[in-house]
Amino acid sequence: MKIRFWGVRGSFAMSGRDFLRYGGNTSSVELVADAGQRLLIDLGTGATELAKQLMTGEFGKGHGTVPILLTHTHLDHIQGLPFFTPFFIKGNQIRILGAAPSGLSLEATLQNQLSPHYSPLNGLENLAAGVTIETITPGSTLALPGFEVVTAAVPHGSMWTTAYRISADGRTVTLLSDVEYPSVDEPLPVALALAHGADLLIHDAMYADADYERSKGWGHSPARAGVVVAERAAARKLALFHHNPDATDDMIDEIVARTAARTQVPVFAAAEGHYLDV
Amino acid sequence: MTPFHNKLPRFWAEFWGSRPVGIEFPHPMQITFWGVRGSYPVPGAATVRYGGQTSCVETRSASGDTLIVDAGTGMRALGNKLLCQAPEPQHHHVLLSHVHWDHIQGLPFFSPAYVPGTQISVYALQTAADELHQVIGGITRHEFFPMPLEAVPASFDFHQVEPGVEFDIGGFHVTPIALNHPFGSVGYRFDADGSSWAYVADTAPFTEVLHKQHFLSGLELLTDDDRIALGAMRDALVRRLIGVDTVVYDTHFLPDEYAQFPHYGHSTPDQALDICCEAGARRLVLYHHAPSHGDDQMDRIAAEYLARGARRNIEVLTSFEGMTLPVGPEAA
Repeated sequence: MKIRFWGVRGSFAMSGRDFLRYGGNTSSVELVADAGQRLLIDLGTGATELAKQLMTGEFGKGHGTVPILLTHTHLDHIQGLPFFTPFFIKGNQIRILGAAPSGLSLEATLQNQLSPHYSPLNGLENLAAGVTIETITPGSTLALPGFEVVTAAVPHGSMWTTAYRISADGRTVTLLSDVEYPSVDEPLPVALALAHGADLLIHDAMYADADYERSKGWGHSPARAGVVVAERAAARKLALFHHNPDATDDMIDEIVARTAARTQVPVFAAAEGHYLDV
Repeated sequence: MTPFHNKLPRFWAEFWGSRPVGIEFPHPMQITFWGVRGSYPVPGAATVRYGGQTSCVETRSASGDTLIVDAGTGMRALGNKLLCQAPEPQHHHVLLSHVHWDHIQGLPFFSPAYVPGTQISVYALQTAADELHQVIGGITRHEFFPMPLEAVPASFDFHQVEPGVEFDIGGFHVTPIALNHPFGSVGYRFDADGSSWAYVADTAPFTEVLHKQHFLSGLELLTDDDRIALGAMRDALVRRLIGVDTVVYDTHFLPDEYAQFPHYGHSTPDQALDICCEAGARRLVLYHHAPSHGDDQMDRIAAEYLARGARRNIEVLTSFEGMTLPVGPEAA
């Protein structure tokens, strides 16, 4: 299984020369199984770049098929949806899977995003591709072509998000993005179970540890939280993810250095750009 | 103001931002661009110089009155600057052209909104039966943003604008102008300090498509009534722009791109030039750049249209993030 980060930024897309090495696009992750099947997670602005690559292949001809898992529908995780060009090609089959933590259904939420006030697309029904919206019940297991996915609800401020444990080709990736535990030192058992023995744990690292105290309650973790989960769950590698919009490349370098110094688990900061072997 | 008396030297286009020391240019009003991109923010190496954030412009009069035009992602950096300048609560005025995401998604990240006592007045076209505050409040619904509008510490008030119905904010006289864009859009002419500029975004030209309140998958046949409506809209725009100093215009597309997507609701620099020349504007500023236009291409577009404008006696500049322009020829 390979993974590529297309967007690693939290909350807000950042342009400019201070954000070139790690990238300024918001959440978008692509997983590719050895047999070629794809699985996408989130549709932040990074998905607009991913879309360009997909369009050079079968999606450009209207023969593409892909499932997309949403962690939640805060804007930074869906703002690329109206510009994800495979939606505009007839014949493509795209499944969007996510939970509905607010009480409003996932379909109604995405319809609101594409309402005529906010988008000239004027509703999901105007996407030319075949699009299905499927509601996930956290805790359930999904069998997607080439991938097995375990889901769980984790706390995110006043709501919750869906975390994923994705297995393919004998490897496992766990994504715990947009999560804040009641205590950094006591991650929730559900998070530990999801990350148990994962080859790669991708974890919310919105704040430098020193900045966390004054940012509590917004639903995000300091870099240290990923270390605690990785160590307790015996994950093999930790990717810091959902970087703060104000964190420049140099600041992220420093966060990685400080985080790596406190653990035996190999740590890196997720960055836009390359396919990595899991 | 005499439209064709351009007393600014041509080198201004290359050197603005580095005003010669010791020479007083009595430009009373100014425009600062905080986001110049259309559709969605574009991070990365290709947008370092022109910028990747979406529509947001700040304008300031000689007396210090400030208006914000559009609330795209550029508004985040603007908010941080305003908060640094004046940490105490302020009254901010935000005029929206329309409420597509690229023109409003900076609003929840506008840091002054989190200072208790701040007042934010939002002006927008009412584009549907919904109340304006529901449309604006809709972007901070629980599903989209952690804090609903009602919980944001700033107080908001909402004002519906109507094309042609003029009003004043501080020292600015504001004239809303109807534009041609899906579900409706409004441009603004701002008069202050004896000069003026206009914000004309987002808009399609007034030829192939009359945008209404339904989805367009391509061109539709125009009825006679549609043609009359388009002509009237174009005439009204030109009339409102007569004698204006600077026009900031939606020039999202190059001509070949426009030919592919005439129903998307955006214009080309050539179409903007035609309108500005007819109105006798002194200067056109290209704005709302397509996400796919990287810095090198923007350089070519800027050079090409500076030359085309010069042939028609109009100064054409290309906006970039952080650009500040004084408005008005030195002896208007």
